[in-house]
Amino acid sequence: MKSPETLIIDSIGNNKSFRWRDFKRNKPAYISIYILAILLFIAILAPLISNQQPLYFKYKGHHFFPAFSLQNTYQIIDVKDGTSETLQLDVTDWKHIHCEHILFSPIPYSPGFKDYENSNYVSPFDKQEFIDSDNKTISMPVRFRHWLGTNKTGEDVLAGIIYGTRISLFIGIFSMMIASIIGLFLGSIAGYFGNNALKTTRGGFWTIIIGIFFAFYYAVLLRIFALEDSLAMSSLSFCLQVFQSILIFIFVLIIFNYLGKLIGILFFLNKTFHIPIDTFVTKTIEILISLPSILLIITIAAISKRSITNVAIIIGLTSWTFIARQVRSEILKIRELEYIAAAKSMGFSSFRILFLHALPNAIAPALVTIAFGIAAAIIAESSLSFLNIGVPLDSVSWGRLLAEGREQFSAWWLVIFPGLCIFVTVTIFNLVGEGIQDAFNFRKA
Amino acid sequence: MIRYIIRRLLLFIPTLIVISLLAFIISVNAPGDPLDIVLNSSSNNSEAGISLSSNQLILKDYWRKKLGLDLPLFYLGIKSFAEPDTIYKVFDKEERYALERLINMYGNWDDIQKYYLSINTLLYQLNTLNTDSINFKTDLTNARYAVSSLKTSYDDIIILNSIEKINQFVHSYPQLLASIIPQFEDLKSNYSSIKTNSTKWKNFMPSIAFHGLHNQYHKWLFGDESTNSKGLIRGDFGTSYITKQPVSEIIYKRLGWTFFFSFTSIVLAYLISIPIGIKAAAHKGKLFDRISSVLLFMLFSMPIFWMATLLLMTFANPDVFKIFKASGVRPLEGFSSNMSLWDKITISIPYLVLPTICYTYSSLAFIARSMRVSMVETLSLDFIRTAHAKGLSEYFVIYKHALRNSLFPIINLFATLFPAIISGSIILESIFSIPGMGTETIAAIEAKNYPMIVAIFTLTGILTLTGFLISDLLFKLTDSRIDLEK
Repeated sequence: MKSPETLIIDSIGNNKSFRWRDFKRNKPAYISIYILAILLFIAILAPLISNQQPLYFKYKGHHFFPAFSLQNTYQIIDVKDGTSETLQLDVTDWKHIHCEHILFSPIPYSPGFKDYENSNYVSPFDKQEFIDSDNKTISMPVRFRHWLGTNKTGEDVLAGIIYGTRISLFIGIFSMMIASIIGLFLGSIAGYFGNNALKTTRGGFWTIIIGIFFAFYYAVLLRIFALEDSLAMSSLSFCLQVFQSILIFIFVLIIFNYLGKLIGILFFLNKTFHIPIDTFVTKTIEILISLPSILLIITIAAISKRSITNVAIIIGLTSWTFIARQVRSEILKIRELEYIAAAKSMGFSSFRILFLHALPNAIAPALVTIAFGIAAAIIAESSLSFLNIGVPLDSVSWGRLLAEGREQFSAWWLVIFPGLCIFVTVTIFNLVGEGIQDAFNFRKA
Repeated sequence: MIRYIIRRLLLFIPTLIVISLLAFIISVNAPGDPLDIVLNSSSNNSEAGISLSSNQLILKDYWRKKLGLDLPLFYLGIKSFAEPDTIYKVFDKEERYALERLINMYGNWDDIQKYYLSINTLLYQLNTLNTDSINFKTDLTNARYAVSSLKTSYDDIIILNSIEKINQFVHSYPQLLASIIPQFEDLKSNYSSIKTNSTKWKNFMPSIAFHGLHNQYHKWLFGDESTNSKGLIRGDFGTSYITKQPVSEIIYKRLGWTFFFSFTSIVLAYLISIPIGIKAAAHKGKLFDRISSVLLFMLFSMPIFWMATLLLMTFANPDVFKIFKASGVRPLEGFSSNMSLWDKITISIPYLVLPTICYTYSSLAFIARSMRVSMVETLSLDFIRTAHAKGLSEYFVIYKHALRNSLFPIINLFATLFPAIISGSIILESIFSIPGMGTETIAAIEAKNYPMIVAIFTLTGILTLTGFLISDLLFKLTDSRIDLEK
């Protein structure tokens, strides 16, 4: 049986709610979802699709799975005469090895692997060379062909494109996760509470302001070196340290909140104080959007350490404003609806009403902004790679391949294919965004 | 109206202050010593602190004073109780960082200060030593290196390791180094006392340091008489680290091309896209509408740098079509003096076509799509049906009745278009090597030329805010129902 709350939501949400049926009617958007699934599949399975090390390999009766293995060196003992051999996976010349059985991945090249026989921009249609086991140069076997050509150092372009999918989708999705967390939170509290609804005493307010100062000190300034060291170590330990910092921040704030309640009892500090949260959020957004985000992203990326995660975080931290604005205007409409009044009359706390009842109805419209945001983030990342700012020097991404093509215009395959990948991915997310928008009947067009 | 404009202009000030503060924070937190960039000395770590000639040191001192880098950063700073107010007086960024880390670990500034001073004294004494023995000389150089590395190290193991190295050196030449041994023993005892007398609790007490008006930000904002700078408020953005010219002068030279391309592209985009949008909306669902919708959508999703590279590859490539020029805005050798204006224009055109296309196409797609949507919405309204019922011609209905009403959202787009074009210029100008603000931005970022970056931020902020204001005013002009004063 449905609870009364969901019944209310069902009844008001009939013409504004998102309907999968409407979305499906929009064929381009619907097809985009499938292409997106394929891209995600490629991104996740990139090491299996394109790997210089074979998937399976049988040698002297032993079975190996080099593409899956974490171990690099193996001792192989011949079953017949007991002689031992050392197999080192990363330096083995797999394409010339003599073995009982070998199974390559669909594209037998890793992105960093340099094929010296085919270096210096070999086009997809050119004759590609291969040195066979007798040290004679023959034309490339079809199995080992570079289907999309090579770059200056003989790296396979197709392998680069497949790994580039990983980077682009990771940046797009991870940065928008950060942006949506910030945007949904700030946008919803700004829209729901406005400037008057969030009340505290005068003493309580100033205690909280001092509390923010203390929380910032203990969570960030005091731990800045610990955070720095962990970032140099690994991203996992950095995440743990950041989590610890957030916990400290919240803990200090809670303590000061209670302290503020105590202080708020005092006689001249007990006047009601309206926290102007809406003004605060909208002013912050105004300031941020008066700087073009790509300028901010390029500058911060240029001075921080070169890393893909960093780039994603920077993009996320600079692009939450659009989500926040969308959610704020959506919540402004929702808070006037009857079911919110009903929830209020049932005595729920305002944070519960906001996050459990109002926000879920604002998330679907925010999805439109998020989809466009992913497209923008992918373009931002490839611009950074194209300009070689902020991304690691050895990373293989679409923008980087394009930049290589820009140096050598005769290598058209280095411009066409990576560019097409960026274009298709961006178009997909734009189409999905439009599809969701149309499914809402936002526009009559 | 004028009151409204003045009020809006006054509201620019707090926003610009925050933007400048943001840019300032970014440039201050960037790694590396600005003085190294100024002096263009690629910091040679192996020799740092030892073989800097006195000449270089004087030069460093001069630029530090001139750029105001010897001052505290801001009016006030948050720090721990253990940290002294005056730590900014340690100029070297790496040394300061090492000291800060030591304070963070042990929290007793008095001992750390003694330790730091004893390193400096020891280094000074080692530097004054002179000898002819080659063996001793190489050992001495190694010892100097070990001592100066102490200044920038904070890890216990590394420090002990360096101390052990110096210890070996000192005890292998007991006669020659008799004067140095007490100083070295002093250093050792100072370091061990840091560890034994650690007062970590001091770190858990935050405190605020007030630096007064004599700080970098204040001087940067309001100018400084001693260095003849007028300050940001009076249009002085400081001195470029690279060319040592005033930043405002460089920007003034560079602004022209960016403005030229932005305005040409905005005008072109509006001129082309509005008829397309109208036509698509008037023939909704017909072939023209469908084809234009798909094309515009594709243009809209096309990354700007891909478009630029494709155009260059096709139209500025000797192997395909060599119609346009690939880079620059005019011939490298410049114009000859006797050319007429018309000649100059015809010579420049092959350089300008491709950049203009790239500047224009994405905003064109954006405006045309919005125009279509807005027009379709207007055409479905009742007053249009009335106009049709009156027997007005299709042309009259669309251009006299519907157009003006569907223009509002398009004009409002101006506000979002402007920042987009500025950000596009950063990438486009570096691809086409146009001597504009975008190229300067990338160059400044790559060279870590912070006064330039801050200036660009502030200027972009002003331009964007002006764009918002213009779009609001245009909105008022087209729709008299809107009351801006509210």
